[in-house]
Amino acid sequence: MGLFRRESWNVGLLVILALLLALTKAVQPNYGAAGFEGLAQAALPFAFAAAAQAIVVIAGGIDLSIASMMAVTSVTAAVLMEGATEGQAVWIALFVLGLGAAMGALNGFLIVITRVPDIVVTLAMLYVWEGVALMILNAPGGGASEWLKALPIGSVPLPFLPESVSSFIPKALLFLLVCIAVVWFPLKRSKLGLQIYAIGSSEQTAFRTGVPVRRSKVIAYSVAGLFAAMGGLVLTASTGIGAPIPGPYLLASVAAVVLGGVILGGGRGGLIGPIIAVFILRLVRTILTFLAVDPNVTTIVEGTIMVAVVMAGGVLALRGRRRKAA
Amino acid sequence: MKKSLAALTAFALGLGLPAGASAADYSIGVSNTVQGNGWREQMICAIKAQALSSGMVAELNIAHRNTDAAGQLEDIRNLIQAGVDAIIINPSNPDGLNAAIQEATDAGIVVVAVDQGVSAPSAYVLSNNQEEYAYLGAKWLFEQLGDGGQVVYMRGAAGASADSDRHDGFHRALAEHPGVEIVHEVFTGWQQDQGKQQILDFIATGIPFDGVWTSGIDNVIVDAFLESDTPLVPIVGADNAGFVGMLSSVDGLVGAAVTNPGSVGGAGVTLALNILGGEMPGEQTVLVDPALWENQSEAGMATLAAAENPNLDPEWPVSVSIPGWTDYTMEQIIACKGPGE
Repeated sequence: MGLFRRESWNVGLLVILALLLALTKAVQPNYGAAGFEGLAQAALPFAFAAAAQAIVVIAGGIDLSIASMMAVTSVTAAVLMEGATEGQAVWIALFVLGLGAAMGALNGFLIVITRVPDIVVTLAMLYVWEGVALMILNAPGGGASEWLKALPIGSVPLPFLPESVSSFIPKALLFLLVCIAVVWFPLKRSKLGLQIYAIGSSEQTAFRTGVPVRRSKVIAYSVAGLFAAMGGLVLTASTGIGAPIPGPYLLASVAAVVLGGVILGGGRGGLIGPIIAVFILRLVRTILTFLAVDPNVTTIVEGTIMVAVVMAGGVLALRGRRRKAA
Repeated sequence: MKKSLAALTAFALGLGLPAGASAADYSIGVSNTVQGNGWREQMICAIKAQALSSGMVAELNIAHRNTDAAGQLEDIRNLIQAGVDAIIINPSNPDGLNAAIQEATDAGIVVVAVDQGVSAPSAYVLSNNQEEYAYLGAKWLFEQLGDGGQVVYMRGAAGASADSDRHDGFHRALAEHPGVEIVHEVFTGWQQDQGKQQILDFIATGIPFDGVWTSGIDNVIVDAFLESDTPLVPIVGADNAGFVGMLSSVDGLVGAAVTNPGSVGGAGVTLALNILGGEMPGEQTVLVDPALWENQSEAGMATLAAAENPNLDPEWPVSVSIPGWTDYTMEQIIACKGPGE
């Protein structure tokens, strides 16, 4: 039943996304492959932030330091890549991914060792990582290797598809799907993945059934750090530089997680829902731009959608619980 | 791009006008990444007022929100898709937007960066000279202190390029006045409340200081001195209406305002329309140089008195227009209405 409900949520999100794409096309008949590519590029950093937040929320926590970790990894990559060869840049990218995982693990360690609530520890780490980012680079700067910059640009030519179709498969989207698939699907199917869901459902029950609660939690935060590092790398890729001031990814990641069907409180949901949710939220912004809506009204509309979604999600979760109780 | 838009508009109106028949149907996009700051709001209003008074703009498409360089890339790409003829940007970063700017100019869209420059070679830049802005004010302040003393250095937003340019200018002046020391350095984030709290906190420490340089968060600093009964020291700010008024009205305040017109946005509209009309500027980059208005000479006081404008919001720069670049009226910019509004 839980599985069915989760999938139906994702199907629902896809239907919303399809309707919004149709609406976009109606508003702007020229909207096509280039527009979709722009959408995928814009969604990329938000999608990684949402993936990072989702896994922590599934594990019963919350990470307020995601945007700051993205800033740290982005400036680290930008500083190291400036003047580095294309080959060295590959090692730099791998180092930055490792750095992200280590930062996330540190968040997790602090939570399990100090027993201070997740929200407090990661709020503190938000400021710590923000300061670290500014220490590494006090103003936007640095560089990016050419292959990294090319990563989200263009579409993927597939031999078995005509160009008119393959131009609708942006590299940014494919890159996102590959990264998520490589990390998330093996994890979700593993014992560790089950343990992460278990501690999110009920830490106490998980502990009594022999789940290593602390270890699972640290790993969940570490994977979140890894996704945040991917987000930082795509920021460096798209802008060609590193910027030390965190972007608007924290609240957007929470919004996408909630809209994506991950229950705040833990134990239920996945990564696909939040990622579709990111595309929906970006597309709303695109439509509002096409309609030349007053910019001050735009944020009200965006905020209203988020509130409506959170409320709808809460109502659905409540009904689900009642059904279970009955 | 423009033709298709014009055709679309004509189709929608059912008028069947030939595409591009009239010059008054340009569509201009705007991308700005700081919202809720008086300077930026004036910039947006100047863009609207100039678009309206030019009579050549049918529609403004304004993407105006708080975001980062990646978010600005998204906005620029959305504006490209929206089919605008020109995009005016206040860049969040000089280097981070090159990919989208290139895509825009490849699509035949004129890109004008205002306030801060961009490194994309295909964009036109109409910018306030931020390095000179800080240098002028800092140099004046250090001279007031007799080339020696302790200065509180209240910067803008950490990591913003206008802030780092100003930092360079500030340090150029500092190098010329080796007797001056920075006793305290903070980032106000260009937020009024934050800046006021920071100076109150520092006053409370009791550490002596002789002058304050601000990156445009100015009137609230004077307020903080007055409200805490602290003896005034020389203060440098920007030409914001509130601060300019204080320079002539507050007893014992020694200070100077450095101009940093938000109306540069309106000038950007004029430049974009000129280029769309085939009239290319001589230079790819046009810098607007700042001026310093101080209240220690009669000439300075006269300039301040002439610039004063109580009708403006205290956080708005008083330089509401740029001669030769903008031709809207004071009423138009205060009304803040664009074409079709």
